[in-house]
Amino acid sequence: MSAAAASAGVALRLRVAICAADPARAGRLAALVTDSGHQPVPATEPADAVVTLGSAPTAAAGVPVIAIGVEDGNFAGVLADDAGPVQLDAALRAVVAGLIVRPPPLPLAGFAALPEMPAPALSPREVEVLSALAEGLGNKAVGRRLGISPHTVKFHIESLFRKLGASTRAEAVAKGLRRQIVEF
Amino acid sequence: MAETTANTTQDLLTQFSAAMAERAAAARPLVAAVNVRGHSPRSGTLWSGNLVIASEQALPRTVEAEVVLADGKTVAARLAGRDPGTNIAVLQLDGSVQPAWPAAVEPRPGATVLALAADGIGGSAVRAGAVHSVGPAWHSRSGGQIDRRIWLDLRLGSGEEGGPVIDATGGLLGISTLGPRQRVLVIPTATIERVIEPLLSKGRIARGWLGLAVQPVTVPEALREAAGPPQGLMVLGLTPDGPAAQAGVLMGDIVVAIDGAAVAGISQLAGLLGSEAVGRQVELQLIRAGQRQSVPVTLGERPAA
Repeated sequence: MSAAAASAGVALRLRVAICAADPARAGRLAALVTDSGHQPVPATEPADAVVTLGSAPTAAAGVPVIAIGVEDGNFAGVLADDAGPVQLDAALRAVVAGLIVRPPPLPLAGFAALPEMPAPALSPREVEVLSALAEGLGNKAVGRRLGISPHTVKFHIESLFRKLGASTRAEAVAKGLRRQIVEF
Repeated sequence: MAETTANTTQDLLTQFSAAMAERAAAARPLVAAVNVRGHSPRSGTLWSGNLVIASEQALPRTVEAEVVLADGKTVAARLAGRDPGTNIAVLQLDGSVQPAWPAAVEPRPGATVLALAADGIGGSAVRAGAVHSVGPAWHSRSGGQIDRRIWLDLRLGSGEEGGPVIDATGGLLGISTLGPRQRVLVIPTATIERVIEPLLSKGRIARGWLGLAVQPVTVPEALREAAGPPQGLMVLGLTPDGPAAQAGVLMGDIVVAIDGAAVAGISQLAGLLGSEAVGRQVELQLIRAGQRQSVPVTLGERPAA
């Protein structure tokens, strides 16, 4: 395999500096970075890229910055505030490769039909686990929230992967949750 | 070369092309350019009387607009009403114009259609294509009911949605609308006729509202006896102070029936939330902590998006 193929492969693991106003947000951001397959590091350490929630990052010159949930600005990457690990992973790879990332403008959605109710695949407990995964919680945190053991959480996640044909948490969230929620 | 030029009048393709251009020219009087100060021009369709129909999602928030008709005449217009549910906006012109247009024949997949639009510089633009597919009545995400699901196999430029779509007979199918992924669909004439009157009198179409975000779930075996139906809608979001929240519905509740009817489909639920539903009281049958409960909810009115 060529060096280019290796660097473009799944094994790419970037050091991502976390820049947030308070520890709670920094924690959520770090979890999102971990879920996206990269390594979160404190803002003070050298990194391949910086992720911020809008607070001014202290990035070294030449290190690309991804801002989550901001309107726009002088950032290499901008993501919507509901961006998941899959989007963050794609955005990190893109900005490190020197590209600019922007979310699509909202009106692109178009006039859409109410999604017909699919035969529901998931149990209420699985939906609860999925909602917690969507917030970027790890197995232990999910277990604490739902009052079940991490082992049981793992069992539910395996069942979710099987039912949804997903191989990562992010894929399960995208397939199982976001597409099916309907508001009345 | 000279020979082919002489033969063009007999050539089928040339005849077809001429017929298409003729249809487009005949429908040209229906095309209206809708100008709102500070925005790029949008397209509209001149309806019977003094009304212009535009695409609601494309029309800027405005009360006043200027409509340029096919003959180049500029007429002041006022927004009479808009309905995100059916993507219809009605503009009322100062002064009357044009008689009703013939209705189209029943649309069929494969049938030729023309989508006309204002080109933004005083003329009209034409897109030609075919009916991609035709389906039954459907509900939009914003709660409106549209009489037929008509997808077109053609593209629209920006500012072109809202113009008339005509069929090969020259009949009016409806107005063009951009759906997800820039696909083009038709808001049928029947739907427009249905909402014009309430929009003219009230300015909007009221719709019933629960203030809930739900996800379909299977009801676990252990709860089947209490639940009845094998599926339900799990509450994952509650609008603060919305009708459901005020009635005491909680996150995690599983709605299994409304007024005794099992929640079998989302459209069926949408059907319960028409304009007549506002202010009505319904019983939500739900499962909470393994127990079946009934919660009376007074339906609110869906807030403007």
